[in-house]
Amino acid sequence: MPRLTSINELKELRSVLFNAADKNKPRIVICAGTACQASGSNGIIRVAKKYIIGKRLIGKVGLRVTGCHGFCEMGPFILTEPQQAFYSQVKLSDIPRIIEALLANKYVEDLLYKDPNTQEKYYNRDDIPFFKNQQRSILGMNQKIDPIRIYDYIAQEGYTALEQVLSKQNPEWIVEQVKSSQLRGRGGGGFPTGLKWELLAKQPGNRGKFLVCNADEGDPGAYMDRSVLEGNPHSIIEGMLIGAYGTGATEGIVYVRNEYPIAVKHLNIALKQARQLGLLGENILGTDFSFDIKIVKGAGAFVCGEETALIRSVEGKMGEPHQRPPFPVQKGIDGKPTAINNVETWANIPLIFRLGAKKFADIGTERNSGTKIFSLVGKIKNTGLVEVPMGISIKDIVYDIGGGPVGKAKIKAVQTGGPSGGCIPAKQFDLPVDYDSLTKAGSIMGSGGMIVMDENTCMVDVAKYFMNFLKDESCGKCFTCRKGTQRMHEILDDISKGKGTLEHLDLLKELAEAVKDTTMCGLGQTASNPVLSTLHYFQDEYHQHVVDKKCNSFVCKELVGAPCQAACPLGTEVWRYVALIEKGKYEEAYRVIREANPFPSACARVCGRNCESRCNLAASGDEAIAIRILKRFITDRISPSVYKPVRTKLNGQKQRKVAVVGAGPAGLSAAHYLSLLGYGVTIIEAGKEPGGMLLSCIPAYRLPRDVAHKEIELLLNDENIDVRFNTALGKDVTIDELLKGGYNAVFLAIGADKSWGLDLEGEDTKGVYSSMDFLKAFNLRGEELAKGHVGIVGGGNSAVDAARVAIRQKAVKSVTMLYRRTSQEMPAYADEVEAAIEEGIRLETLVSPVGIRYIKAAQAEGVKIETFVQPVKIDAKHGHLVDIKCVRNKLGDVDSSGRRKPVPIPGSEFTIALDTLIVAIGEHPDSDCLTSMGLELDKGGRVKVDAKTLRTGRQEVFAGGDLVTGPNTVVEAIAAGKRAAQVIDRYLQGKELVELPKIKLPEIFIEPAVVSEEELENVVKRAEPAAIPAESRKKSFAEVELSLSDEQAKREARRCLRCDLEFTQRAKNEEAKYAAVEDTSA
Amino acid sequence: MITLKINGLEVSVEKGTTILEAARFLGFPIPTLCHMDGLTPYGACRLCVVEIGDGPRAKLVSSCTYPVEEGLKVRTASSRVLKARKMILELLLASCPQSKTIQDLASAHGIRQQRFKQEYDDCILCGLCVRVCQEQMMAKAIGFRNRGEKRSIGTPFDVKSDVCRLCGGCMYVCPACQLRCTYNEPEKAICGGCANLTPPCVQKEQFDDMMCYMSPCVACEIKKD
Repeated sequence: MPRLTSINELKELRSVLFNAADKNKPRIVICAGTACQASGSNGIIRVAKKYIIGKRLIGKVGLRVTGCHGFCEMGPFILTEPQQAFYSQVKLSDIPRIIEALLANKYVEDLLYKDPNTQEKYYNRDDIPFFKNQQRSILGMNQKIDPIRIYDYIAQEGYTALEQVLSKQNPEWIVEQVKSSQLRGRGGGGFPTGLKWELLAKQPGNRGKFLVCNADEGDPGAYMDRSVLEGNPHSIIEGMLIGAYGTGATEGIVYVRNEYPIAVKHLNIALKQARQLGLLGENILGTDFSFDIKIVKGAGAFVCGEETALIRSVEGKMGEPHQRPPFPVQKGIDGKPTAINNVETWANIPLIFRLGAKKFADIGTERNSGTKIFSLVGKIKNTGLVEVPMGISIKDIVYDIGGGPVGKAKIKAVQTGGPSGGCIPAKQFDLPVDYDSLTKAGSIMGSGGMIVMDENTCMVDVAKYFMNFLKDESCGKCFTCRKGTQRMHEILDDISKGKGTLEHLDLLKELAEAVKDTTMCGLGQTASNPVLSTLHYFQDEYHQHVVDKKCNSFVCKELVGAPCQAACPLGTEVWRYVALIEKGKYEEAYRVIREANPFPSACARVCGRNCESRCNLAASGDEAIAIRILKRFITDRISPSVYKPVRTKLNGQKQRKVAVVGAGPAGLSAAHYLSLLGYGVTIIEAGKEPGGMLLSCIPAYRLPRDVAHKEIELLLNDENIDVRFNTALGKDVTIDELLKGGYNAVFLAIGADKSWGLDLEGEDTKGVYSSMDFLKAFNLRGEELAKGHVGIVGGGNSAVDAARVAIRQKAVKSVTMLYRRTSQEMPAYADEVEAAIEEGIRLETLVSPVGIRYIKAAQAEGVKIETFVQPVKIDAKHGHLVDIKCVRNKLGDVDSSGRRKPVPIPGSEFTIALDTLIVAIGEHPDSDCLTSMGLELDKGGRVKVDAKTLRTGRQEVFAGGDLVTGPNTVVEAIAAGKRAAQVIDRYLQGKELVELPKIKLPEIFIEPAVVSEEELENVVKRAEPAAIPAESRKKSFAEVELSLSDEQAKREARRCLRCDLEFTQRAKNEEAKYAAVEDTSA
Repeated sequence: MITLKINGLEVSVEKGTTILEAARFLGFPIPTLCHMDGLTPYGACRLCVVEIGDGPRAKLVSSCTYPVEEGLKVRTASSRVLKARKMILELLLASCPQSKTIQDLASAHGIRQQRFKQEYDDCILCGLCVRVCQEQMMAKAIGFRNRGEKRSIGTPFDVKSDVCRLCGGCMYVCPACQLRCTYNEPEKAICGGCANLTPPCVQKEQFDDMMCYMSPCVACEIKKD
């Protein structure tokens, strides 16, 4: 490499390089950033090289190894030029195909990037939403440059900005340009860079001045500085050269973390090459300007990113901040004036001169110019580095670029700025991302970390995590920062363990504010942000931890215990019966189930399975334990007579009476538990038989009638309970009459069985039914209302139930479901939908219904499911339905529920000919009569109750189940009934209604299964019960799902991770310790 | 000369003076723990915070390290300052309850509660000992080690120091390990007026003939509430 001795020589070199480059030469580009190396890009590079050499393709295909492109989620990937095809998550065996396709100017279709939401395939990388919505002025360079080749950088207009300033020979002009570009420090503080340079330029230069590039990037979850250093080190060098010329600095230092070996390596190579070319050192490009840069490696202290601590560290002293003033610009390294800028700030400098300061200032918003790189990580589909203009909203970053949440959990908050930043809740996602707005919202821009959190993230835990980080990383000089972070962590730890009180929250806030106020450096002053912002925006979550002793995100172990038990509305000790099944103790397992749940057989078939969705096995990447199927196994096998409920003895006291209105699951379980507590219960039911929605709505192929009847009979076969059928509240009896008639309390559980209408004209036409009327007609009276071509509007469980019942009716030719969003957003149970698909129910959607079992089941049975469809008109002929007109939707903006709103596409109207239309868009309680009895209702007709006590506005009247919640799962209704019984008992005994919350941790120790080495190696898959084939079940109401065999059940139970042992083993160990101590003392 | 306003009073002091020196010159009391005349200001204990600036830009700074600036407005006892100081003292009491110096300061500031978990440290890492050793004894025998919660003071690698002359200067200046309250051990008591915060003032009658340096005794005050 010959040394360049003038600016013209550099220009000549560039034009030579530029002309030599063949723009249309096929080339594969492989990212070798740290993230891609971790996911295996080194192997890809090796194999690609070998293939090109082996097939004698040198000269025909180029290979460029570059720094990070930003889409780290999809690594390792290969980008082809000039096609710009993007092959993501490439395997070694894919390389030959990609190279051959590129040579033939074709695509390897199956490897192209597909959008995970829509499955749409992209041929050009720039069309991919992740890239399309960004403005990649800094990161975009990474793909064009091999960081260890200075010629690559020069050919891409590298060092043109340096040429410009060296030819101008006017340092003031440089500072003026940077000032008018309005560039602000990218390290997080946002101090105007031009101003800093001006201050440095004004300092006396007789002793020398320092320029520092701060690459001590230590925020958990942030790595954009690393990517710029790794991928484009020359942009930093060029930026610093310009800075040195403008400010008169004589020495440059890059302070970089030793944990960034690739960055250090690339930077070293870049510095060496720049020196060889005469771009660094004495008399740069033949001018009298001299400047050199050296690397100082940091030893890993977070606080050394703070500028005064960094100076100490460079000087070789302990990295601790000191008082400003004097500012580093006045008195920095070795007492000499020093300006410290972040990596990204330096990378922006050449850009300002290449674009022109004016044009640069136009990017972004006023006072917040240019682009900013964020590292988008956490619970989001597209993790990686994104570069956007300042002032873009968080929503755009999270949903348009990030692709929204992973899985079903909604996004709750975004944490910006690392440990010094705060959490911004989803409801503020319209906030523009710039220095001032974020600070106002209680967070900071910081260096650009952006951690996305969903409902499975506990905000108390987040605050605790950052406090734990900061108490280790505080330098410890300021007493308030050192002790304050320790104390905040201590309090948060107590809260997460259920030992917190409301006073703790006040103390925490007071302490956090004091720490913010009284510490010396930026670390301490911002250390409280994680606590203060979560306290501010997520107060209810803190209250849940402190008052209710609950962690609704299932993160705080000491509050959750075994997640399966905590998730169950009934508090069933799931872990216990699963462990008992493994031991073969089936009767005991039945008793554990029945103890918590009066409807074990029904729940074994139709439960919503909160337990499985919270199973730690699922969280660790495997499939959840098949808990409901194990419950089915036990209830099918064991006679209910093994369980003998414990009854409270009255001891001669007079029996008191409670009236329960409604004989659904909520009413029946309330009656059952009240009876056990010694009360005389009268159930008042409007219908002819008990069971409520269990029998009227749930079809027999899901819950066989004999099973349901047997279970209900068992509960009603009770001397304390009698039932009055055909008695409707409001018509035959009122609450006042009941209370006057000797009942001490009333529990209302009349359910929600009235369907909402579409609010369209012609809904009363013959052939249009509500889902409830349709299901009741069949389930209770055996009437088959569906005929010919059937349409069902809705995507919930009752819609799928109606579809699957319809397809089983004789006169039905086809069944089509119409839903206004995508199938992924259907509220119906996944496995039920899947079953319907299996039954041949048609599902037409933009999105493949993979993993949605319930929808699939409906489809298998012949139901067609049309998504993105909204009915707008019902047509009738001779008083009977003939067709409906629908309009197609597309997904619009994200609404407050975190889902994208369906927006009608104009002109997309189409007609579906139908003989029967079933409207299943939701239900509400038939509760009009209750207002006249002195109860308050909300807009949806639901009774307003105190959430903790279920008490209505009238002190002796309680309500629960669907009447209060709207349509909900069976298990929630049973839980409401059970709770009502406890509350009514407390009320009638004159006790305080609300009990102090108790944390239910596993208590009973059950020996864990011994798993052999062999078993550990062979991964056992989740047990799937056999099912009747779709063809034969299509016209039958026999139960679809079959039970497990003995061996299957035991094997399934062995998969359990036994989260309970963490608690029971501990207690057992302690017991053993005490026993040992007593032994020795005796 | 630089002119600034402290609590509304104008004062002219030499360049390089700290706010603490200027305030003391005027007679405004500012409590300190890590400050000592003759040693370099360090700014570790944060007890000497004062409020400077106006409106939204007002902030707290440690007066012992902050050099005076022309036109600076300083408030040494604003409500924000007092609130912060109280919290600092509460934190100090929670960590080092036995230090007489801290007890006296807490008492003087009307601290009536200590809401954190009680610890019994004997060092607040104010660094007076380190600075005395380095600046007055020219020995540099001891220094800070580690960071964050692991930070401590001692000789390098805990090896007996060759340069230490056992002068005892480090102990002499210590606000925490000297003059320790010994609670209810009368034979060892310096003052013995109070016991630790939990349980407070045991067997008080045994201390009748001794005088408590603190008035009132922090522990007893807390008991009363």
